Amino acid sequence: MNSTAQDEIIAYVFAVRAALGDLPEAQRDELLEDLTEHLTEVMADGEGSLIDRLGSPEAYAAELRGTAPFVGGFPDPPRSANPFAELREQFVPQLREHVYPLLRVVDERLGKLLGYPRARDFFVLLRPAWWVVRGYLAAMVVAVMLDGTGQPIGLLPRIGGSDVVALLLLGAAVLGSIWLGRRSLRLRWWPRLALYLGSFVLVMVALTGFVEADSSTRDSYYSDVNYDNPYSGVEDVFVYDEQGRLIDNARLFDQNGEPIHLGSAYCYDEYGNLLEESDAGVYPYCPEKAPFRMPGAAPKASASVEPTTTPSAKGR
Amino acid sequence: MLPVDTTQLLKGVLDLAVLAALRDEDGYGYDILRRLRTAGLGEVGDASVYGTLRRLFNAGLLTTYVVPSVEGPHRKYYSLNAAGRDELQRSGKIWHGFASTMDDLLRERETA
Repeated sequence: MNSTAQDEIIAYVFAVRAALGDLPEAQRDELLEDLTEHLTEVMADGEGSLIDRLGSPEAYAAELRGTAPFVGGFPDPPRSANPFAELREQFVPQLREHVYPLLRVVDERLGKLLGYPRARDFFVLLRPAWWVVRGYLAAMVVAVMLDGTGQPIGLLPRIGGSDVVALLLLGAAVLGSIWLGRRSLRLRWWPRLALYLGSFVLVMVALTGFVEADSSTRDSYYSDVNYDNPYSGVEDVFVYDEQGRLIDNARLFDQNGEPIHLGSAYCYDEYGNLLEESDAGVYPYCPEKAPFRMPGAAPKASASVEPTTTPSAKGR
Repeated sequence: MLPVDTTQLLKGVLDLAVLAALRDEDGYGYDILRRLRTAGLGEVGDASVYGTLRRLFNAGLLTTYVVPSVEGPHRKYYSLNAAGRDELQRSGKIWHGFASTMDDLLRERETA
């Protein structure tokens, strides 16, 4: 085919397009999609210009309108029928043009990394695993909602602390999820959307629960100490000798010779002002707060008395 | 009365005619136009066939595939799918009923 003929076809298609100018662009594109190829066939078969054989482009356009009643003819029937149609018409081609190729590249690159032609091939294989996990999560959510004991629920979906109930519930939920999974591949638009939304909520709830469980596992060391240690409330230590005298600057050690640290080495008066910072491990930190006092004996703030080597004190 | 206008008659049955032209063999647009003309529908317009093919395809009655061609551009072939064959059968029955009614009607008038 020579270029004159090609030009003629292009001009003809252009004129037809112009004559259909009142149609929405997507519809017009769709209608004229194959016209160039079609007219090339017409040109190749026989003599004469396109206008000689087909009539004017305007007449051609009018005939197209007449035989394709879904374009023109009625005042925009498709749009009133479905409010999403126009949106879809606008966005789907854009998605197809800009987003899909990008996704395809990611799909293939990631797939190569995973050892599959495309990443989605790998994720499709993971589908049954997700069904099992989803069953477990659903069972856990049900258990948390139904369990009235208020105790930590653990890793099994216990209701009222019962292991048997937990295992039954777990089994039923996992089987149910697998059954649903096999069916969901054939679901229609709305049920499928509902299923996706449900799964999303499930995952969010599960994430919250997981974070909670994780932090409580990490904190359990400290909380155990707090619960079991009767000295957790100790702020200061006062050592008295057998005569009931307060011993200053006492040091405490355990059986291994490790210094025992209790309380905090800061002294506050009753107004909350910091009085002094003592040496850690030398008790008492705040001698003036001693609970018992010898009658008449003033607390010594910083005396260096060694009780065992002060026999004169025995008489008091 | 107005004389019977074949172009007007065609409008009502063009879908059926195009489906029928594709019953035994797939074809591209211009090919189908030629088949219709060869069969005797000389008045059928190029744009009508082209537009009808697009519409039937949009209605889900036809499938298409592209065949590379040595001398010209690639050709888009149309082919009847199962829905298209169903439609051809259903519309064909309606046409036969209509045509025989008309035949009977005309024969009665002629013989009366």
